[in-house]
Amino acid sequence: MNIVVLVKQVPDTESLVQIAADGVSIRKDDVKWIMNPYDELAVEEALRIREAKGGGVTVVSCGGPKAQETLRTALAMGADKAVHIQDPAAEGADALGTARILAAALKAMPFDLILCGQRGVDEDNVQVGPAVAERLGIPHLSFVIKVELLDGRVRGHRVVEGGTVVVEAPLPALLTTQRGLNDPRYASLPGIMKAKKKPLEVKSLADLGVDPATVGAAGRKVVVRALKLPPARQAVRMIGGETPEAVAAELVRVLHEEAKLI
Amino acid sequence: MERERLEFDVVFVGAGPAGLAGAIRLKQLAAERGREIEVCVIDKAPALGAHSLSGAVVDPRALAELLPDYRERGCPIEEEGLRDAVFYLTAAKALRLPWVPPFLHNEGAFVGSLSKLCAWLGAIAEEAGVNVFPGFAGVEALFDDAGGRVLGVRTGDKGVDKQGRRKGNFEPGVDLLAKVTVFAEGPRGSLLREAAKRLGLFDGRMPQVFETAVKEVIELPEASPFLTAPEAVIHTFGFPLGLHTKGGGFLYRMAERRVALGLVVGLDYADPMLEPYREFLRFKRHPLVAGLIAGGRVLQQGAKTLPVGGWYSMPRLCADGALVIGDSACTLNARRLKGVHTAMKSGMLAAETIAEALAAGDTGASALEGYRRRLEESWLGEELRQARNFSQALSRPPASRVVHLGAQMLSRGRGLVDPMPLHEDCSTLRPGVFREPAPVADLDGTLYLDKLTGVYLSGTRHEEDQPCHLHIPHPELCTTRCWQEYRSPCTRFCPGQVYEIETAEGGRPRLKLNPSNCLHCKTCEIKDPLRNILWNCPEGGGGPNWTIL
Ligand SMILES: Cc1cc2nc3c(=O)[nH]c(=O)nc-3n(C[C@H](O)[C@H](O)[C@H](O)COP(=O)(O)OP(=O)(O)OC[C@H]3O[C@@H](n4cnc5c(N)ncnc54)[C@H](O)[C@@H]3O)c2cc1C
Repeated sequence: MNIVVLVKQVPDTESLVQIAADGVSIRKDDVKWIMNPYDELAVEEALRIREAKGGGVTVVSCGGPKAQETLRTALAMGADKAVHIQDPAAEGADALGTARILAAALKAMPFDLILCGQRGVDEDNVQVGPAVAERLGIPHLSFVIKVELLDGRVRGHRVVEGGTVVVEAPLPALLTTQRGLNDPRYASLPGIMKAKKKPLEVKSLADLGVDPATVGAAGRKVVVRALKLPPARQAVRMIGGETPEAVAAELVRVLHEEAKLI
Repeated sequence: MERERLEFDVVFVGAGPAGLAGAIRLKQLAAERGREIEVCVIDKAPALGAHSLSGAVVDPRALAELLPDYRERGCPIEEEGLRDAVFYLTAAKALRLPWVPPFLHNEGAFVGSLSKLCAWLGAIAEEAGVNVFPGFAGVEALFDDAGGRVLGVRTGDKGVDKQGRRKGNFEPGVDLLAKVTVFAEGPRGSLLREAAKRLGLFDGRMPQVFETAVKEVIELPEASPFLTAPEAVIHTFGFPLGLHTKGGGFLYRMAERRVALGLVVGLDYADPMLEPYREFLRFKRHPLVAGLIAGGRVLQQGAKTLPVGGWYSMPRLCADGALVIGDSACTLNARRLKGVHTAMKSGMLAAETIAEALAAGDTGASALEGYRRRLEESWLGEELRQARNFSQALSRPPASRVVHLGAQMLSRGRGLVDPMPLHEDCSTLRPGVFREPAPVADLDGTLYLDKLTGVYLSGTRHEEDQPCHLHIPHPELCTTRCWQEYRSPCTRFCPGQVYEIETAEGGRPRLKLNPSNCLHCKTCEIKDPLRNILWNCPEGGGGPNWTIL
């Protein structure tokens, strides 16, 4: 089974996120960079499937030079090889541009199953996975919290409001992950050592036959007009009282009269 | 359990300036001698520099020796061509000292952020072929059967729950074996604490003494007067600590409209009600400081301790298969308020000794003893000898302090009493005087923060479901003796609100721990009057996420 995992390096949303002087991007220097947490779930699931069914796991990322750290992390967790699409012309791509690039890379490699996070926690577009599937003409199952492989088919359990839906598709297919799917493993120290020796291929847009004008900042269909930080957190208010009943009554009063939520 | 073993020539525990400079120097020496030396550096921080907090006015002396082209290589320098000002603060006034003592002159130095410097040095180490592993805590030194030779370190298990049971993602720690293990854990190393007991490294030395600091980086508005002030480096003493508690404040101008601001408090203070964090807020509210930072916004906050015992507190520096460098070895120069260049230099001298020992095929204590000799004969030894009674003098009452310091300046550090004694910080609290200080009012959450907002801005995160990393051997003492005699000072000296005394059912006091808030400063282990707190490393990768401190 050939499994491909799409990963992205994103800023840790709890690190020092500041809007850059241009007003439409964030400052890149003082933030901490991590693997998109949903992609960690995807890597973990791929490794579990490989452990159960055999095969190989390839991780693919499109990003600047630093994105290699995230690929190395995936390799350290246990992936077999990595492909890094690194091209200045790819920078600033919107979700559809990124999907175009990733799909072009995927066309050149064998896959039975593609896994990726449901969204990147940086831009929250929730588009790349499904768009890649569309470009490749394969089915996709999004927000899965459980994956079962049947003969030539994949079954995904998806969360919907108030319940789960079980869906199936023939392979090859693409899955996007939701929290609860698994508990990602740590990159072990020997794993990190081994990762340094695993193959990591760097590709440009030209290698993939992608026209730079259709992707990157040049090919954006969605233009960011402004970025704003969310309002500062309000201080937590502890609701006290002599008895549980009194606490509950006070809570209801606050929610009703002050917060006007109920 | 079978643990994986990985063999190296040298393992450094701690990727601060000491460990990284040592590792880089070793690789340089290996290249010069055409010899392979496999070097590994581990750090408990989630990323390089994430647990590094300093001032920092950096004396580039060691850096220039290690990397003469440090500027070309992009060393992150915030501000240079520094001019100093020293102020004595009263509650309402600031009196500028007409001269700055020579040891506080900083013309050749630069302001840097240690988080950035360590990330930069770490990348250089990796380029040089060092295996740098952030996210891994050293939890146990490994010894041979006779117990006298250090064989390496064990990294901590990951994926263990509160009760100590393995979780689904359990990942056992590994044994890193080395011909030489270098302790570079900074102040109050938790590995060194245990290894030193076994090896007697602190026996016969003066006690380890510390100061603790809360620090912030603040973004200033464009019109801030500090951005154009001729003096980029300001030190203060007096208010809010007064003259009986040692310590002082600092403001260092950084690039991009930022200022590093902190208050350092000597941990030999006597009043159990003193709260370093509260003093820090009062310092910020002083008219001089408040005026300089008006309109600003705190970007990051953190806390850390400094070992100020110096020369006479230095542990025995070598054992069979092991060396101690940097703050762990008390190389900080308290007189100059600087420990970065001394930590780096000690690491470099250790590296030279290790390279020699490896070449000779003997890494026993006597072969490694050359490190102490090198240190004594270098500028580092000279610097530290001159400061050898400085901290002691600062702990004296104001009048005799001045006499001692004056005499030390005239006699290259000898002074009137040499050596002057030091007293352990845990022994200096005076029981039974409880004046409840008024809390600092009007915290706005932007420039003046309460402790929890500060913890939030330190980016501190720990896996919640893990065993508590704070070991309290006698919890019953917390609500009895410690409460009666000292009013539970842990609730005050901890800058991260890790310790709380709550009223449990029946109105009885109960200790509540919030280990996830821990900023890894280790003040608790140092200051606890009953020595009832032991700080151990939490799961590797947990803790602060500093990037500009
Ligand atoms: C508020 C403040 C202001 C200062 N101002 C200045 C200044 O202006 N100029 C100056 O030169 N110096 C200054 N210093 C001192 C200077 O920062 C230190 O002396 C210096 O950082 C010491 O370097 P080190 O490598 O020995 O230790 P550290 O920098 O403390 O590094 C130790 C590293 O080891 C890691 N570690 C610890 N234990 C373990 C373990 N068991 N396993 C894995 N990793 C571990 C830690 O996470 C840390 O990254 C200041 C210090 C403070 C706190």
